[in-house]
Amino acid sequence: MNELIVTLFALTLVKATPIIYAALGGVISERSGVINIGLEGMMAAGAFTAVVASFATHSPILGLAAGIGAGALFGYLLAFAATRFKVDQIVAGTGINLICAGGAAYGLVLLFNQPGASVQVASLGSSYWVLVVLAFALAALLQWVLYRTPWGLRIRASGENPSAVVSAGLNPLLLRTYAVILSGALAGLGGAFLSIGELNLYSDGMTAGRGFIALAAVIFGRWHPVGATVACVIFGFFEALQYVLQGQIAWLPANAMQALPYIAALIALAGVTGRVRAPAADGVPF
Amino acid sequence: MEPALTLRGIRKAFPGVVAVDGVDLDLYPGEIHALVGENGAGKSTLSAIAFGELLPDAGTVTARGTVGLVHQHFELIGRLRVWQNVLLGREPHKGWRIDEAAARAQVLAIAQRNGLPIDPNAFVDTLPIGVQQRVELLRELDRDPAVLLLDEPTAALAPAEIESFFATVVQLAARGTAIMIVTHKLQEVIAYATRVTVMRHGKVVERTLTSATSIDAIARAMVGGEVPPVAARARTELTPRLHVKDLCAGRGATQLNDFFLDVRGGEIVGIAGVEGNGQSTLADALAGLIDYTGIIERSGTMGIIPQDRQREALVMNWSLVENTLLGRQHRKAARRGLELDRVRARVDTAAICERLDVRAANFDVAVRTLSGGNQQKLVVGRALIDEPQFVLAYNPTRGVDVGAAALVQSRLMEARNRGAAVLLISFELDEILALADHVIVMYRGAVLGSFDRDAFDRAAIGRLMAGSA
Repeated sequence: MNELIVTLFALTLVKATPIIYAALGGVISERSGVINIGLEGMMAAGAFTAVVASFATHSPILGLAAGIGAGALFGYLLAFAATRFKVDQIVAGTGINLICAGGAAYGLVLLFNQPGASVQVASLGSSYWVLVVLAFALAALLQWVLYRTPWGLRIRASGENPSAVVSAGLNPLLLRTYAVILSGALAGLGGAFLSIGELNLYSDGMTAGRGFIALAAVIFGRWHPVGATVACVIFGFFEALQYVLQGQIAWLPANAMQALPYIAALIALAGVTGRVRAPAADGVPF
Repeated sequence: MEPALTLRGIRKAFPGVVAVDGVDLDLYPGEIHALVGENGAGKSTLSAIAFGELLPDAGTVTARGTVGLVHQHFELIGRLRVWQNVLLGREPHKGWRIDEAAARAQVLAIAQRNGLPIDPNAFVDTLPIGVQQRVELLRELDRDPAVLLLDEPTAALAPAEIESFFATVVQLAARGTAIMIVTHKLQEVIAYATRVTVMRHGKVVERTLTSATSIDAIARAMVGGEVPPVAARARTELTPRLHVKDLCAGRGATQLNDFFLDVRGGEIVGIAGVEGNGQSTLADALAGLIDYTGIIERSGTMGIIPQDRQREALVMNWSLVENTLLGRQHRKAARRGLELDRVRARVDTAAICERLDVRAANFDVAVRTLSGGNQQKLVVGRALIDEPQFVLAYNPTRGVDVGAAALVQSRLMEARNRGAAVLLISFELDEILALADHVIVMYRGAVLGSFDRDAFDRAAIGRLMAGSA
């Protein structure tokens, strides 16, 4: 029994990690006033690119860097659409999700000549624990940056009232661009953790809605880095529980078990809706 | 003396209109200069150019020192603290982190130097409007501006707040700041400004010392002729139309608490109060938009002039004719068989445009293409066209110029004279005092006092609006 609890605990942290990265990306983006619905796609981009880079260089570290870079690139794309062209952020983000999911699936065929999954590549191996710890450290760091530094204050101001930021002689569009690039980089890191951290390959659809779960965590965590992280741990727990309980309860179909984290996210969101307040200018083009 | 700000030959055109047309203006250190004019006269464009927010098509702007602008609609962030709003972009820091103690001290220091009491740690959205404006002002003062532009600074303030605001402004001017106030409140111009510049159709039509002019003279210069008089108050028979008792509705700061009110046919009842004291909750409850407890008894038909014409009154992409029908489409007279009676609607539109002097290219253009003043006149005209027995008028002259305001006020007075009950909710105390037969002062969702026309006491009403008996 004790062993089960230890396993459950460790697995919870591992399963929470990629969602934490994406959720921190969601927090920073939404705090600056851009809803990043493209987190899911940016995770997929990070996961796929990390595998490709690791495959090409045999270096999982370079793979990680490439995953972060790919996420950042799509972050920049969303920022560009949201600030320069004032495109509806939900539409732009959905576009990014479609491009990334489709692009990765196509890339699998193109590069590895097989649909469904890539070949096995060099992975981080047991050192992926560093990324688990880093996720929690980043949450604390981001909390400090948002609430204690001038840059964090300005990011929050951009998400509340960009015209006031202009009055202060700053450029809210530039602030939003930085925030969304950072958001994409974090989501890309989360994706890379999935593909070359936990595993050693990319398989089609492996992000499995974690980007959306991260969005739920952002709301459940009231747009606070630490709050969102707590929410991610809760979702991670249900995902871990699903693995631990697999085959233990005979009458419950496996599919129902797999739905646990999503059901948890749904219930969490239903519970907080109406009681939390998004940044005032969240999702409003400026 | 060298001017602190010099504008020479400023010209700015927007598609279809020359907003500012060859304007020269000098602002001197220590003066309070009023810039007045009707809506669309070009004063906002000119101050945006002076501030550097907008580039002129021609002409030069020379400033000796920084220029600050206090916006009519505050550019504040409600969920941040006072010091965060004031020092945004110029945060004192120790290493990478903000030095919060230094920031609070800095805000307190500017506040004390300018006689503006403030709690630097308070969240802005918990502060009353008057204090929020102090925050806006402090933000500009922290940059030590040589020139301070104030755009309709007293629009949302209670009379007492206006007095203390101007005390600060006068003190600033005395210390050498050049101040320009864009306003439409002419009595403030006379009371506090040293010079006044009047604009009309993008040009300066008059510059004078305030000591050498009068409210009437300035108003005439703004309109370019005589201001039309408001229709006379006739003797009327009073019949009960609206009875409100123990009304509770809404929540938070704008909650109604046991509100009571009677409006009779043949009278105008004015609700005086500072914005945000429950007026919109009252209007929404009377219009049937929100749930309430208590008694609202109303007899007869109702015409409504909502507070926000673009959000609550008009569909911006619809034509004048369609908007005229809106809200009146259920009447039998609006239909012909199963269809709407388009001919009848057109006749109604023509009548409204004639009575309220609505200027549009034709009746089929989208109301979006109309100026704000013309949109407002259309809304007023629609509310009155069916001669309702009760009229709910919420800031009926919002955003319309002096001449048009007189026209709107006349139509309300005529509705009263023919026996309609008119409830006038307005943030312009002067409008209420001019029109109402009876004034009710509203504060924090409750009735704080009431006055009959023969007992109007401007000072007493002003004190009650600020919440002090």
